Amino acid sequence: MPAKPEKAITVSDLRRVYSSSRGIFKKTRNVVEAVKGISFDVDYGELFGLVGPNGAGKTTTIKMLTTLLTPTSGTAKVLGFDIVKDVITIRRGIGIIFGGERGLYYRVSGRENLRYFADLYAVPLSKREKRIGDLLEMVGLATRADERVEGYSRGMKQRLHIAKGLINDPQLIFMDEPTIGLDPEAARETRAMIKGLVEKGKTILLTTHYMFEADELCQRIGVISGGRIVALDSPSALKRFVKDVTVIEIEAFGVADADLTALRQQPDVTTVNANLEGERQTIRVQTARGSEFIPTVTKLLSKAKIMEVRIKEPTLEDAYLKLVA
Amino acid sequence: MSMLNFFSDPQWIIPNIIAPFIFTAVALIFFRNASGSLALYAVLGGGMMGMWGSTLYGAGFALSFDRWNGTLEYVLATPSRLVWIVAGRSASSAILGLVNALAVLVVAVVGFKAQLGIVDPIAFLLALVLTLASLSALGVLFCSSFLLTRAASVLTNGLEMPIYVASGSMFPIALLPFWSHPLSLSLGPTWGIDAMRYAADATYTGMGFGFWSDMLVLFASTIVYLAIGFWLFIVVEKKARRDASLVEY
Amino acid sequence: MASQFREWPAFRIFQSSAIFAFRALFSWLRPEMWLMQVLTLPLFEMAFFVYLGRFVAPSTSNIAFIAVGNAMQVASFSSIFAVCNLTSEEKWQGTLTPLLATPANRFPLFLGRAMFQIFNGMASIAVGFIYATFIFGVDMSHANFLALSLVILITSLAMTGFGLMLGSVGLFMRTAMIIANIFLFIGQLLCGVNFPVTVLPTWLQPVSYAIPMTYGTMAARAAVQGWGIFQLGPVLLQEIGAGVASILIGYLLFRGFEILAIRRGTLEQY
Repeated sequence: MPAKPEKAITVSDLRRVYSSSRGIFKKTRNVVEAVKGISFDVDYGELFGLVGPNGAGKTTTIKMLTTLLTPTSGTAKVLGFDIVKDVITIRRGIGIIFGGERGLYYRVSGRENLRYFADLYAVPLSKREKRIGDLLEMVGLATRADERVEGYSRGMKQRLHIAKGLINDPQLIFMDEPTIGLDPEAARETRAMIKGLVEKGKTILLTTHYMFEADELCQRIGVISGGRIVALDSPSALKRFVKDVTVIEIEAFGVADADLTALRQQPDVTTVNANLEGERQTIRVQTARGSEFIPTVTKLLSKAKIMEVRIKEPTLEDAYLKLVA
Repeated sequence: MSMLNFFSDPQWIIPNIIAPFIFTAVALIFFRNASGSLALYAVLGGGMMGMWGSTLYGAGFALSFDRWNGTLEYVLATPSRLVWIVAGRSASSAILGLVNALAVLVVAVVGFKAQLGIVDPIAFLLALVLTLASLSALGVLFCSSFLLTRAASVLTNGLEMPIYVASGSMFPIALLPFWSHPLSLSLGPTWGIDAMRYAADATYTGMGFGFWSDMLVLFASTIVYLAIGFWLFIVVEKKARRDASLVEY
Repeated sequence: MASQFREWPAFRIFQSSAIFAFRALFSWLRPEMWLMQVLTLPLFEMAFFVYLGRFVAPSTSNIAFIAVGNAMQVASFSSIFAVCNLTSEEKWQGTLTPLLATPANRFPLFLGRAMFQIFNGMASIAVGFIYATFIFGVDMSHANFLALSLVILITSLAMTGFGLMLGSVGLFMRTAMIIANIFLFIGQLLCGVNFPVTVLPTWLQPVSYAIPMTYGTMAARAAVQGWGIFQLGPVLLQEIGAGVASILIGYLLFRGFEILAIRRGTLEQY
């Protein structure tokens, strides 16, 4: 029995290049370097978050670590085993929760889905039914377990994914965007479940692009952007990155893109982020200047109708925006 | 537009394209020792089967596809009546069917060196076109049945083979048991293929009604099918608007 | 001992995959519908070729040849069509990725899903023979039923293996159904169903001999005429050989697909 390795995950200069060719006669090769050499570690019992914008390389990274994709170069060890050479051993010890609408057998019940995967993971027969029952309780599907999955709502399917990912009682769990597409209620419950798992001693690596979620859940965060890790630290440490930054938040109607561009071009403005919710726009301006900057902002946005102006404490989201800008 | 949609998901139509080619090949091997005019049966039959597959099921599956995609409701909501939309689809699949039939004929003649001499090309063409019309009409009728129940699409998939048999596509219906003759005669294509054989082969006696009688019945069948089809559509549309059951299965 | 066997991961994977595939089929097609297709399609396919035969060369032996051949050919529906359907389903549901993410042994996984189709195939052929005897008048008075049963069993097994191979090929294509439909009917032409393989052009015959059904039709006719199991030995062994070869090729393709997809990152593309 080998000595327990120090880290749950060690990643060393992992790279992944996708190449595709189009056309029959004149082949044009399209080469995309999705992950450009990343390195990080995850301790046992840690809840580690990989955050970044869409297309940053989060999903590619997690696929490599779960043995569903071979890296182009670099190495990584999961539970002490090499991701290229010890594939079967790794698969036995990890749980994979990728979520989404697909990936479940529709025409059978939730319970039967779990039973099938229990068999595929060689869960001992004596423990199988009890574990399935416990998992269904935990994810809140106990009453609907014997209905066909095709009748499940999006949230229920996500919960079944979680149960399925835990069927082999793994030490280490990978979750790719666990709350995406869920309504706030369901997302809240999912986060509570994730916290519960860490309390039981599990190690979790999750990816997300919701900053507040990473802030709430993760002990450490790796910010990935353009295939590289641009920051790796605890949420509070990352927030210190923006401690000198003031955030001015404006609620307005009818702000034009030109106005935002003009705002961005102002000196001492780090980022301008606009969020549209229907007609109403929420604009966050990061600046080193502080509240004295407000008149300039309102003047630049004078063509729009401004409802409210607030000074906010910089959040992890702001740190993230500054890092990936 | 519906034709494009069709081509993007060929799996629905493939069964109906492949079987005719293979069956024709088998038939031609059967007929290898027979005289020239008998080989006509094989080639003509194969061409017809090719045509029927696409035409009959084109409209139906396109609609079934809509249903699956959830676009059926949107189609219903458009101002144009469902009937005309389906008729349009039937027409485009009929053209597809024609292409299919020609493909089978070409393969048979080129690949197997079969001889297809047509005595009266104009009459032949006329019979062909009318058969196509009859098939489109039958397609419209099938289509309306699809709308009533999803089981219908499974059922009609199973009808392909019986139609090949009952319509005497490659052999005279006289060979079939006598109690099935009324069934055979109620199918437009039966008369159509008889007519085409008359036009192609001077010595053909066939069902004994003569070319023009065949054509008359063919024409009548088209009308009858269309009438029933239209009526069914009106019933379905009313029903759908009343209890919004079209989206459900 | 028995419980140890039940725990054996490979067996569990095999059994679960089999049961799962069974449920998946019946949930899609309500039993009545399935039954109808199984009962009517073979009848009319057989009728078509029998009447065609009656038109061209109506001797009793020719009709018997065609009817028995078609009775065997009936297995194609379950062995080929249904197996390929499974592949399509997996792709469409997106369950291929989770399956491949498990540590489960690929071979029982690959085989298990087709198990139900073997029984389906045997039942269909039995129905086919009922039609051949009572509707199309094949003389079964000399038949060796034991031998015939063995032929049916082996053919169903071997053709299901063939279907699995086609299913694996289908993994690489956008839609596996095209292949399924081609092979559903191609047997009529290539497998000695309606006429002996020797009638086909010489360049085409090797293809026929690669398909297990070709041996099945030969053996079935011999059994109907009264041949015993030992006499059928050589043919049956060849059929088993073709079936085993299909399974192996199919499995290799399946693994190949997996490895390629993991390397290229195209697992979810289809």
